[in-house]
Parts: sequence; C-alpha cells; structure tokens
Amino acid sequence: MPLITLDAVSYRYPEADRPALSDVTTTVEPGEVILLRGASGSGKSTLLRCLNGLVPHSTGGQFRGRVVVCGLDTREHPPRQLGIHIGFVFQHPEAQFVLEDVEAELAFGLENLGLARPLMRKRVEEVIDQVGINPLRRRRIGTLSGGERQRVAIAAALAMHPDALVLDEPTSQLDPQAAEDVLQVVLRLVAELGMTTVIAEHRVERIAPFVDRIWTLDGGVLRDQPPRVALAEGGARPPVVDLALRAGWTPIPLGLRDARVHAQRLPADPTPRPSPPRGEGDFRDGSGPIICRVDGLDHRYDTVPAVQGVSLTLCRGQVVALMGRNGSGKTTLLRLVAGLMRPQRGTVTHEGIAAYVPQDADSLLFAPTVHEELRGQSAEVVAPFAAWLHRYPRDLSSGERQQLAIALMGTRADLLLLDEPTRGLDPQVKRALTAYLRTRADAGAGILVATHDVEWAARTADRVLLMADGEIYADGAPGSVLSDSLVFATQISKLVGGGWLLPEEVPL
Amino acid sequence: MIRHPLAWGVWATAVLAAAFIDRNPYLQGLLLLVVVNAFLPYRGRRRVGTWKLALALALVPVLFSVALSRFGQHVLFTLPAIPIIGGRWTLDAVAFGASTGLALLLTVAVFAVVQTTVRSADVVAILPRPLYRAGTTVALALAFAPKTLAAFQSIREARQLRGQRTGWRSVPALLLPLLLTTLERALQYGESLDARGFGSGRRSRYRPLRWTAPDLLVLIASLAALVAIAVLPGVPYNPYLELVPRVPNPDQLLAVGLLAVPAVTASLSRMDHAPHHA
Repeated sequence: MPLITLDAVSYRYPEADRPALSDVTTTVEPGEVILLRGASGSGKSTLLRCLNGLVPHSTGGQFRGRVVVCGLDTREHPPRQLGIHIGFVFQHPEAQFVLEDVEAELAFGLENLGLARPLMRKRVEEVIDQVGINPLRRRRIGTLSGGERQRVAIAAALAMHPDALVLDEPTSQLDPQAAEDVLQVVLRLVAELGMTTVIAEHRVERIAPFVDRIWTLDGGVLRDQPPRVALAEGGARPPVVDLALRAGWTPIPLGLRDARVHAQRLPADPTPRPSPPRGEGDFRDGSGPIICRVDGLDHRYDTVPAVQGVSLTLCRGQVVALMGRNGSGKTTLLRLVAGLMRPQRGTVTHEGIAAYVPQDADSLLFAPTVHEELRGQSAEVVAPFAAWLHRYPRDLSSGERQQLAIALMGTRADLLLLDEPTRGLDPQVKRALTAYLRTRADAGAGILVATHDVEWAARTADRVLLMADGEIYADGAPGSVLSDSLVFATQISKLVGGGWLLPEEVPL
Repeated sequence: MIRHPLAWGVWATAVLAAAFIDRNPYLQGLLLLVVVNAFLPYRGRRRVGTWKLALALALVPVLFSVALSRFGQHVLFTLPAIPIIGGRWTLDAVAFGASTGLALLLTVAVFAVVQTTVRSADVVAILPRPLYRAGTTVALALAFAPKTLAAFQSIREARQLRGQRTGWRSVPALLLPLLLTTLERALQYGESLDARGFGSGRRSRYRPLRWTAPDLLVLIASLAALVAIAVLPGVPYNPYLELVPRVPNPDQLLAVGLLAVPAVTASLSRMDHAPHHA
C-alpha cells in the first residue's frame, strides 16, 4: 500500500491566473527515495507543501483531487496532525526554529505530541546520534553555521519519527562541503533506516545515484520516471550524465562511481586543456583596464576577523568568481568593495558605478508590480520579463526574483558585485545568467560574483578566487584553481582530472 | 551560571525599582556598574550595538530637558523669547535630563542582560499550561524583534543600492516592504509551527527547569534588595534631583550590594572553572 498517494491533484493560488499544479497523479511506496526537480517557479515547493497539508490549509486557493498520507486525506486533516507522519524541512532553516537552543528545538515537536519525558529523552538522544550533532546539542541556534542549522532542522523533523521526510532544497544556501554534510545525513537515513524521502534539490549530482525515481515538474505538470530516463531527457542533471550522453556510455552512470568504469575508456593521456580562443577586445585573461583596486583590506566584527589583508585588482571584461565556505568573508568583501561598509584598514578604489546585488533579492523589490519595478529601464532590459509584468514581484519564485533584481541593478553598472546569484536557479536560468554576465563583461563591465556553485563558476568565470578565514588563498584560472581543490572541484574534474572542468570540454 | 527566568526577572525588577525610585546619581552610577558586571560574563562574542543605542537614547532626555524645561534657580544663560526654546536654560534642567537619561540607560542595560541570559525555552517551560500558547507566541515575538530590525536595515540598504532616498523622510516608504517582509516571515513561522504539531493536543515537557543554588541565591538577594528599596525605603520617592546629591543611605548601598550577586556568582564560577582550563 502506498505511503503517499496524489490523485488528480490540481491547485491554483488565490488570485493566480494559472494553476501551480495540474492533474498530478502519483504514489510513493514505503522506503522510496524521490528526487523532485523542475525549473524556478515550476511548483516544486507547492507540491511538497501538499504532502503535509500546508497546501491548501495554510495557503487557501483552489484545490482539487486528493492527497492521502498514511491513510489520512490532507483535506480533512490539518498540518499539525499530518506533522506526525511527514517530517518537513524548509528551504530556510531559520524560518522554522522556534526556540534558541538546539536541544530544546529538537524536543519542541515531541512536546507538542505530548510524549512522556523518558520517551522524549530517548528520541532526542537517538536523533542526535543519527544525524551526528552531539557537539551541537548545547549550542544556541544563532551561533550555528548554515550547514549545522540545516542538520538540526533535519534532526528536529526526524525526532518526531515521521513515516516520510520531505526536504525543500535543503542545500540551496550552503557551501559545497556543508551541502555534502547535509546530503550525507539524508543518505545515511535512507540507507540505515529505509526512510521514505522526497527531496527537492538542484545539486542532483550528489543525490542522483541514490534515488528510486525522479519527479520532474514543468509548469505544474508532473512526470514520474526512473532516474536514467528522466536524466537522459534533460533538466537539472549531473555533469557525468552529460558526458555519458556525449560519449554514448550505456547504461548512463548516475554518479562518479559508475562513471569511473566508463572513464577508463577515455584517452589515457588527454591533450592539455586548450586556452579559450581570444578575439580583439576580449579581456577574459585579465588584460583589460583595471576597474577596481583593493589594497590591504582589513575588517573585523568585534574581535572576529572577517577580511584580512586582502589585496586584488579587478579588470574590465572579466568575470571573477569568489568562492569559499560559509562565513569565510565573501559577503563582507563584496560589501566593502561596493562601499556599503567602511574598511577598518586598507583602501578600495573603483571607476564608474558599482552595483551590489545581495543574497536576499527580496529586499530590492518593493513595487506593486514587475512593471513598476522596471519603470525607466530600456526595452532590452524589460523584454525578458514581458510575461511577468503584471505580477507582484514577491509572488515570483526565488529564482525569478533573483533574475529581476540582477536586471534592475546590473544594467548601468561598470562594476557588478553579485552575492550568491544562482541560489534557487534551475539550469536554464543559470545558463541565461552566464550569457547575461558574459554580455556585460564584453561590454566592458568588471564582475565579481560570490558563489558556492562550483559547476556554474567553472562554466562562467574567467578567474577564481578562493577565500577562507578572511584571506584569499588561491587566485587563478578556473582550470587550475578548481581542479587543484578537493572541495571546490567540478564533478568532471574529479572524474578525469587533467584540468578538465566541464563535460563538453573532455576530449573523447 | 544563573539560568532561571524568575531569578533574572526579580533581579531586573529590583534594579529598575532602585534606578527610578531614587534618582541619586551616585546610586545610579553604582547600579550601572553592577549591571555591566552582570552582563559581561554572559556576553560571549555578542556585538555591543545595544550599548551604542542606549547611549544615544540617554542623550535624548538631556536635550529635551535642557531645551524645554525652565525648572531651577541655577541659570546658565537666557535666550530671547523664541517659541518653545526661549527663556532661561538652567543647570537644574541639565541635571534632571542627565538623571532621566541615566535611568533610561540602566533600563536598556537591564533588558540587555535579561535578553542575553534568559532563554525562551526556559520561559515557556515555567509557564502554567493554560499560558503555554500565549507564552510561545511571546517567545516567538521576542525572537522576531531583532529579525525585524535586520529586515528594516536590509530594506533601507536596498533603497540606497537602487539610488533612492534613505534618510528619515524615506521611513514611510520603507514601512510597506517592511510590513510585507514581516508578514511573510510570520506566515513561515506559522507553517513551521503547524508542521511540527503545535496546538495538536495536551503538551508535555522535555526537561523541566530546576532551581540551582545560584538561582536561589540571586532570587533571595534580589527580593531582599527589592524590599529594602521599595517597601522600606530610607528616602521617600522623589522624582526631582537635588543639584548637590547626598551620599546614599546604608540600606541603599546594601541593596546595590545584593543586586551584585549575579556578577559575583559568575566571577566565582569562572574562578572555579579556571584551573580546569589551565
């Protein structure tokens, strides 16, 4: 008997002109692992919220069909009753913490269930071990890193002994190592407990080898397919799948382990990675005029150093990726360069207009419609948003909001500073962002992008800076910096080495 | 370390009573020393932005009092008959404003201590069952306040980034996006509470809060101080300040000493732990 049944589910948000979900019918058997993917705004979060009744109980709107979870029809049972069966982990962990201590937070759901104290204690201890957060149990939530918070959120959901775990892009805000830690926790639960899991995730390369099926949402329509079929069709997929399709490998490998068998057939000594062709006026190699000079920059919060002795130059025509783990000082450096903060030591000088787009693009959008937000912009800037002009900006998906904010801020800037612009973006929008930044750079802008997205940085950046503990410790071309790193390496680099970063570059 | 919210609650009440019942500047200065020393052991690596706000807040009464009050005999200078600010500017008004400012500074400092030391889980844990839902709501609201302030700053900065006005005149334009952001976050909290079974039935308690010896010591000392200050005052309540202040009474000094118990306890606790870290 299926654990979850969706039967002809259609849903339209209040005042929306089109449905978020259209006639979705599928089931989830106990112990299955489902990967949910789809473009920005395709209805992923809506579908996940249907599983614990937040849609439609919390959102209103027109709901048709039925969702049955462990025999309970979500139309008749409120989310607080379904919460016993579905453990839900939100995209932003800080939005789900009620108390400020880790252990109190883990017990909060159990207290709501009215469990006896010895049983609560047992469950808290179990979940602490399962998720591996014993060192964090006495900590305050506010002192935890993003990855630690997400692990605590998973543990808090798991403590209620749900029948299924539902995760809504749990790694979207994390650096590669923290994302790896969180996904390892999920995979351990799957392997050891047989936990039924539905996970929406853009970093499919880590999770793809372990899923039973892939749900692909496109405009609210669901396709439920076996992993190899779904990944061969397109959408967000691991780079090794792209390489396999190019090389004609069958069956398609879903992860590095499977791919290594096929990779042995690649030329033993691949030719050295060629330099990209360079035309007149192409300054990708950093030979363009200097647009920004940072000299001996220091900044600290109280006693904690955020940026230490950073000196660098940024050139026109170059896209520079700034990478490093959460808390390494990337955002502070961007804000210092943008002039939003005054450095405690050192200088920043730049030419022309500098524009900074923060991580939280929502704060940049405050007009009642997209049309109002774009008032005064050129037709070229407005054109990509023609379909959304009448919409309320905050009703757009997170990826769409990010696109709008970048378009608003980047048009007239000579120096464009972007903080995590690919967060929540699907592959298609990421490619569009790459093309946009390339166009801006070719037009003479200097671009500095803080990002955790290794694959996107490899595809987009002309130069990569790695930052840790407030210092820049690596600076160079993507081919050297991203292939030398253990953490900040692309999947293809891990597979074939030799400085190759992307599937389309590898000589076959 | 002292943890019980009731102990901190009585301590905070006693300090505020002492600060407002008698405006003696010596007494206020001593109280400020006590409060700062109670805060420091619990501060950890927190930023000290609150103190800057408190100092700014303390200056406001001084400015208002000196500009608007004509109270007192010690005239500093006399302005011509300008509306509102014209007339005698007195030293008495400056002293009264400074005293009110110091009391405000103490209030902010006391709340900073309480905010740093009291955990919302403990507050919820000691509430009677009928008050549980209201208590959780208050705990959430308190957690919400700094996030709302951060959202305000973020929206203000976003306007600056988009080249729009950011001064005080822009505040009305900031309120709508702030309201929307706050409502969105409140809805997210609501969803989280719902998804975690909040309000689904009779609630149990994971770890009831127990009284420790330091908690009890602080409670008893604070109650004694409160009695000395409010119930058996050596000096009657007087909102006005004497320009030449008297030396505080022995019972007032004793009360201040009792209010220093949290700082002393924390120091002894640290000394006790020091050899273990050596």
